[in-house]
Amino acid sequence: MQEHIQLTQKEINRELLRGIFVWPKWWFASVSFLILVFLVGAGAFGYMINKGVGVTGLNRPVFWGVYMVNFVFWIGISHAGIMISAILRLTQAEWRRPITRAAEVLTVFSLMGAMFAAALVHTGRPWRAYWVFPYDFSRGVWMNVRSPLIWDPSAVNTYLIASSLFVFVALLPDLAIVRDRSRGWVRVMYSFMCLGWRGTPRQWKLQAVAGILLSALVLPVFVSVHSIVSWDFAVQIGTEGWHSTIFAPYFIIGAIHSGVSAVVTVMVLMVWLWKWDNYLRPDHFDAIGRLLIVVATTWFFFFFLEWVFALYTLEGPEIALRELQIFDWPMSGLFGLFLATAFFIPVPLWLFKRVRRNLLLMFLTTLLVNVGMWLERFLIIVPALLRKSPMIFDWGTYRPSIIEIFMVTAVFAWVTLGMLIFSKVFPLLPLFDIKESMVGRDEIKIGRRTVPASIRE
Amino acid sequence: MQQKPSLMTNGASHAEHALATPASITSDLLEKHATPASAFRWVALLCTVLVVLGVVGVVLRMSDGVSDKTVWGYYAALFVFILSTAQAAPMVAIATRLAKGHWRRPISRIAEMFTAVGVLNLLLFIPLLWVLPSLEDGRRSLWFFGNRDIPGYGYAPHLWATLALLFLVIGGIAMLWVSCLPDLAAIRDHSTGRRQRIARRMARGWQGTTRQWEMLDRRVGILGAYYFMMLVFVHFLISVDFAIALVPGWIDALFPATQAFTSLQGGAATVLLTMIVLRKAGYREYIELDQFWSLGKLLMAMSLLWFWFWFSSFNILWYGRKPNEQAVLDLFITGPYFWMFITTFMLNFVVPFFLMIWNPIRKSIWGPTLVASGVLIGTLLDRVRIYVAAFSIPGEDAAAHLLEQSPETVTPELADILIWAGGLGGVVLVFMLVARLVPVISIWEQTELLLYKVHKKFHRTEVLVLGKPE
Amino acid sequence: MALSMNAAADIKSVIGLFQDPDPAADAMDALSEAGFTQAEYEVLTGTPYPEGTFGEAEPVHKLYRFPLLGAACGFIFGLLLTVGTQIAYPVVTGGKPILSIPPMAIVMYEGTMLGAIIMTVFGIVFESRLPRLFMGAYDDRITEGYIGIVVTTQKDRISNAEAVLKEAGAEDIKRGWEGD
Repeated sequence: MQEHIQLTQKEINRELLRGIFVWPKWWFASVSFLILVFLVGAGAFGYMINKGVGVTGLNRPVFWGVYMVNFVFWIGISHAGIMISAILRLTQAEWRRPITRAAEVLTVFSLMGAMFAAALVHTGRPWRAYWVFPYDFSRGVWMNVRSPLIWDPSAVNTYLIASSLFVFVALLPDLAIVRDRSRGWVRVMYSFMCLGWRGTPRQWKLQAVAGILLSALVLPVFVSVHSIVSWDFAVQIGTEGWHSTIFAPYFIIGAIHSGVSAVVTVMVLMVWLWKWDNYLRPDHFDAIGRLLIVVATTWFFFFFLEWVFALYTLEGPEIALRELQIFDWPMSGLFGLFLATAFFIPVPLWLFKRVRRNLLLMFLTTLLVNVGMWLERFLIIVPALLRKSPMIFDWGTYRPSIIEIFMVTAVFAWVTLGMLIFSKVFPLLPLFDIKESMVGRDEIKIGRRTVPASIRE
Repeated sequence: MQQKPSLMTNGASHAEHALATPASITSDLLEKHATPASAFRWVALLCTVLVVLGVVGVVLRMSDGVSDKTVWGYYAALFVFILSTAQAAPMVAIATRLAKGHWRRPISRIAEMFTAVGVLNLLLFIPLLWVLPSLEDGRRSLWFFGNRDIPGYGYAPHLWATLALLFLVIGGIAMLWVSCLPDLAAIRDHSTGRRQRIARRMARGWQGTTRQWEMLDRRVGILGAYYFMMLVFVHFLISVDFAIALVPGWIDALFPATQAFTSLQGGAATVLLTMIVLRKAGYREYIELDQFWSLGKLLMAMSLLWFWFWFSSFNILWYGRKPNEQAVLDLFITGPYFWMFITTFMLNFVVPFFLMIWNPIRKSIWGPTLVASGVLIGTLLDRVRIYVAAFSIPGEDAAAHLLEQSPETVTPELADILIWAGGLGGVVLVFMLVARLVPVISIWEQTELLLYKVHKKFHRTEVLVLGKPE
Repeated sequence: MALSMNAAADIKSVIGLFQDPDPAADAMDALSEAGFTQAEYEVLTGTPYPEGTFGEAEPVHKLYRFPLLGAACGFIFGLLLTVGTQIAYPVVTGGKPILSIPPMAIVMYEGTMLGAIIMTVFGIVFESRLPRLFMGAYDDRITEGYIGIVVTTQKDRISNAEAVLKEAGAEDIKRGWEGD
């Protein structure tokens, strides 16, 4: 990186472990607030279990509403972690170093949130959600392997286990650092967690190999998870606007778009809350901003393809759906808002270096992107169901109830809460990775100019 | 600071050799450029013969007339094959330049030179314009906003596809030319006679001022992005108008993206095979293990993505049991082109992926080369499968809701074989002709690398230090 | 290192701390000259250094066995799951055959990847010679940037090791705690 700041290991330890050892007031305030929001959502969930799904706005034909939107949205956010961590590790991009841990942790908590949003709350009888797993008591009925609703848990669970293990393996050296800075029962806890890490060359070499190998193994899983989630919709022939072969790549690129934006939001928050501006330099935001331009443009191309082929057949029901999305209020308002926030406001702004290097602007634009992407999922799922029937008298309406809104906000609270509590127990920036960049840093003098360089073995 | 510049690239090889200064690199490459390998003339002659045979084939094919598109399938497949391999090869230079890896330096010129093959492809495209049915025939179309009052509205696909292809080729050649400017200046400064005159004209007064270098950097970047977007757009138009629209009941939003993506794989394979040829032709010190290893890794990732793109389409079409979709699956996969599909599946996915997961194969020269050859053959069969099948549907079926019966497998006739021989020979010939004009290894990028690469002692070991200019 | 896991009564360890890599590398040379085998001393660092920085031998591992084994197990598990459950209760859904390859492929693929990843993580931990119950000689300053040279050897040779480390310029020398 051009704006590298050379620090000693002691300084790095002190600054980056601030999150664990220091207890600022804002942390207590925000955690309390988030727990409150989460409990309200849990209460709403309990109410829904008691009274039935009818307390939500769901009904025929809109049987999938904001819960499903939330599910797809959080699966989408969860893709950022692996995208940034794995792909940048494999391409040996130096600027990934401060970002990987936060992205991976965001992945883990988003996945858990997504599972709550769909599996647990969404089914009519959530207490039977475990039926997706193969168990056979005396009934002799197994799950239907041919259903995408069975592919879903297999993929999401694999991804969750894989990401959690990935985070754990990469955490080992950092847990050793925290262990060395603690005393008493806390020290015992961390010693246990880091499995006795000492820092021998063998252990470091395996960390390097682990990074590459696990990245290579998790990337195919990452691609498959959101493809499978998209096939929940795309394999269905009954609903207009869903039966399109493009859904898998479209959803994945959308997930990368919203996920990487979410990571940028988290990065800015890390700088503001924990004062880690020595590590998250404007250069990092610049690099990730450029990545976002490419991702957003690719996403827009897939969006364009989806629309072109929706209209290609010129079939009545499909046209009716698209007219609803573009011309009928409130969908038309949401559609315009979605296009503006997901693409037409952020991307032209990101083309300017000054914008990419400005933390406030990056925070705002990436928040906008996620607003837009949440709306994108809404506009894919709900209007299609509103126009599901070819019979006009069977077209429906949908209005999310307060129960649904509480539960949706509860998932947002869960993910944020998870990140905050994680930051108290584990370092959010990978210390050993950053220290490695200090060791591997060099300079090459060319005439009057000094060019930053890094050591490659 | 001890600066010991050497010609090694990022990562693997650590051999010493004499090409350690800008002057020595420049003179070595210029000399190699001026005197081609001994086999050059023979290969050029062979390719010329093939091109002549190809022209004969085209004449034979034209004598059947242009109104019946069912015999033009192989011709269309050749056009798309060249679009999917040679014209996609520059992406290896463009994408890697964006990613700023130093390993791409020896091969970026090779990739860029393939833009010139676009001229050949543009010529090949012309007869297809007559073959492609017009919208007035009632065939389905992407261009649903055609205004029937405008004369010639039925030829909207033809117009847009031609324009897109033209702009692609022009942009590509512009990118090649801009990227070659410093090297043309080097030729101008170190040669005499006709070669110098040509180089002086083409170098356009290149002196190597700071401002010229900055403009070069910016222009190559912009032209690269432009080429990429035009390539995707051309694939979109060709795949829709020449394949999807010709098959009743085929609604596949992913196919344009699939074709664009698989052509990236074809392009990488093309560059890889060119690399091995050039290694044998005397460029051994420049094209080393590192280039094969890095491109091999890309090929492996792309083979996995090939499967993903294919499966995404397949799953949707297979799952719903809709008659029109089942008919499409029968046409392209389970019916008359089944074995072609299986071979493509093996060569574009199974073999590349399951071979390249093994480190000794991936990190070698022969491994990626073998896989790339398989990928090229697989891409060839894939394009034949799609376009021959699409073109084989008789015109009367064009407006139907679904394909009632898949046509029989179309086997190539003599004219088709001659055309293919001519096309492939033509691609090689165009590349070789361009290689006479510009050096195949980019001199300025190689000398630039010397600035940023240092071998240093690091305590008890020796490491490579790579600079990262912004 | 298996030695300290056994915690035989007469195996002791000592650590010498250095601030810079070069004196640490010199200390390792000195230990080798003093007759200690490569298995008896190693370097501990708080951050990864390029391989060979201290003149140490390249660590050899066979990690690749683990993902292969895991993938095979996962694949078989997925196959048994999809085939077994569908044959046990054959219900035709959506006009698709009981054993439909695309859905089976998806579930089997996820099983394969899960198996591979779990076994890989297990392999990484195992090949790193973790978990390590008894740390032996260690100092917290290693994670602050110091480089530690640890010698694990017979009780009667420990003082010799201490002397070598001291002569090589170790800033501090500590005796380890062996599990008792």
